[in-house]
Amino acid sequence: MQPTPVIEVDDFTMTFGDKTVIDGLTFDVRPGETFGLLGSNGSGKTTTIRALLGIYTPTAGRLLVQGRPYDPAVHGGLSYLPEERGLYKKETVIDVMTYFGQLKGLPRAQASAWSLHFLERVDLASHARTRLDKLSGGQQQKVQLGVTVMANPEILILDEPTKGFDPVNRRLLLDIIEDHQRAGATVVMVTHQMEEVERLCDRVLLLKDGRAEAYGTVSDVQDRYGGRMIRLTYAGELPASDDFTVATQERNYAELALTPDADPQAVLRQLVDAGVTLRSFEAGRTSMEEVFLRVYGADAARQA
Amino acid sequence: MRWHNLGTVIGFEIRRTLKRRSFWVMTLAVPALLVALAGLMVFSNNQAIAGVDSGRTEPIAFTYTDASGLIDLGIAKAAGGTPAPDAAAARADVVRGASEMFVSFPADPTRQPIEVAGRDRGLMKSGDYASLARQVLLASAKARVPDAMVAGVLTGDPYVRTVTYAGGVQAPGPASVILPGAFLVLFYLAIIMLGNQMLNITVEEKENRVTEMILTTIHPTTLIVGKVVALVAVGVIQTLVLAGPMMALPGVIAALAPSSAALPSGAGAGASSEPMLPTASELASAVNPPAIALGAVLFIGAFLLFTGLLVSIGAIMPTAKDAGSAFGAIVVALFLPFYAIGMLLADPHGVPSQVLTFFPLTAPVTAMLRNATGTLAPWEAAVACASIFASAGLLLALGIRLFATGSISYGVRLDVRKVLSSRRGGT
Repeated sequence: MQPTPVIEVDDFTMTFGDKTVIDGLTFDVRPGETFGLLGSNGSGKTTTIRALLGIYTPTAGRLLVQGRPYDPAVHGGLSYLPEERGLYKKETVIDVMTYFGQLKGLPRAQASAWSLHFLERVDLASHARTRLDKLSGGQQQKVQLGVTVMANPEILILDEPTKGFDPVNRRLLLDIIEDHQRAGATVVMVTHQMEEVERLCDRVLLLKDGRAEAYGTVSDVQDRYGGRMIRLTYAGELPASDDFTVATQERNYAELALTPDADPQAVLRQLVDAGVTLRSFEAGRTSMEEVFLRVYGADAARQA
Repeated sequence: MRWHNLGTVIGFEIRRTLKRRSFWVMTLAVPALLVALAGLMVFSNNQAIAGVDSGRTEPIAFTYTDASGLIDLGIAKAAGGTPAPDAAAARADVVRGASEMFVSFPADPTRQPIEVAGRDRGLMKSGDYASLARQVLLASAKARVPDAMVAGVLTGDPYVRTVTYAGGVQAPGPASVILPGAFLVLFYLAIIMLGNQMLNITVEEKENRVTEMILTTIHPTTLIVGKVVALVAVGVIQTLVLAGPMMALPGVIAALAPSSAALPSGAGAGASSEPMLPTASELASAVNPPAIALGAVLFIGAFLLFTGLLVSIGAIMPTAKDAGSAFGAIVVALFLPFYAIGMLLADPHGVPSQVLTFFPLTAPVTAMLRNATGTLAPWEAAVACASIFASAGLLLALGIRLFATGSISYGVRLDVRKVLSSRRGGT
């Protein structure tokens, strides 16, 4: 029996004027899972989140959080990191964090203590009394993430959480998100970083032109858009085989798409028998980046 | 949770306002300016008195001709005057610098001007010539009236105290305007001191792009009500800060000003010794509780109406700069009745006055003004209150709706029609 979804979106449609941005979208998010909401720019991801959280009024459909329309007074356990970032710039870091902690139900002293602990973790403790507008963009992002994850939310909705971070801070923030995953939080992530999807997400929804292009577990989606792959660097001539087709070939690198019944070990033997010198051999699935490119390649090219 | 959050918003807003240096600079600047102004006035007054005194100690020698026959030779001589046989020659002496001053008293000083020619002593001191000529004439005229009291009445300004009665009891009189009228002053001060901060209630959230974050954390009504309450609290703090120096000001002025014994009495001025301001007992008898209560109710309604207007404008406009120009227009509309004050006093029950009394934007000031002057009939007060409170409620609800559903349109002016026509479906 499936657990009751934390988030239910049923036949959701959203129009702005004459333009239909979302068209009959249906999906759900289960308790404790990390759900990726993916799509190219303008595909309707942020609109869906905003409608879910009552910022936009849906044209049609049903959007529920824990079985009812979102209400901040009721859903105190939900935290949202919007794509459009901003806090009270003229106030100090600690004052703003404490304020939001209190709004999330923490006593003032506890909110302040939690904030200081978080600032230490993200290497901003010395800036606790600094005004927000004196911090760099990346530092402000960290504070914003801190505001989002404080008070141990049950549901985290993160719209491009690592946008604008350098690799070191990106890893730090992903660690923080993973901590909340381990603590049992349900996480919804909007992201363009496909390696983050592979690292964190259980299921994904790929939005294209306001409709669900793909929806399911990460491996299901990977299988649908390519399935199992062998990536190899080599020297020599690749043999013809019934077990695979060459999906990508660039100088000494190739990606082989396996047929459903093919055994990677058998493919390895075929390559060795054909006299191919292997420098690396990796059996896996189609990467999410590859999936993304296959789904949105034409869109991305159009937008470029 | 909602009450907890309301308290949190109020606390946060008050704390951050009071921490702001600019708040204290602005708040303390007003009493500081008032004290400086009072000091300047006292200083200037003292200087003027000193000037008059020094003028008195340095008599001016002058020549004069008297066609009226009113001038007393003794009085004129005591003042430094010598009769001149030839007016033209005497004036020529002044022009040449041989004489300081010449006065030509005309045949009928009530209809013709007293001509004075004098050596220029600068803008302020040259005024002494006219004063001296007037004093000599007044003193000479007074000396001709045998009864000193009659002379005093003729040359003075007698104080008149009027008491009127209505329904067999003493009517409150002009003093009754003061207390109900104080609410009008209070409203004006609220606009001056809190207007921009009210506008910022919604503009600031948009400018900081914090709207999305905050609206998914607390209900917009809680946020805006909390901010308004915090603003009122800040206004009370500002008033208290202002009240101290304001209460001390009369004492400061009294301490700095010279005593009345030191003041020179104007020749024949007959300055009244009776107080012109209402006495404490007059004020006490002028207390009109219904008018004061109505004034308070109108003030609260006006404050809410103004708040609703500014919250809505803030929700529509993308930046504080854009909102500022709309704020100016609102203030002009609110205080429009002051331009029609003559009509409101002369014909308070006429159609134009009633339109101003009932139209939501002009109703607050008009109704408060008419309430203070005692020309607001009970039914008019009821309609005005209904108009003001209904409009305030609608505007506040509109402001919250605009803020909640349209304020994430960062950087662009909101299309009110679009926001209002968006239906709440599905959920």
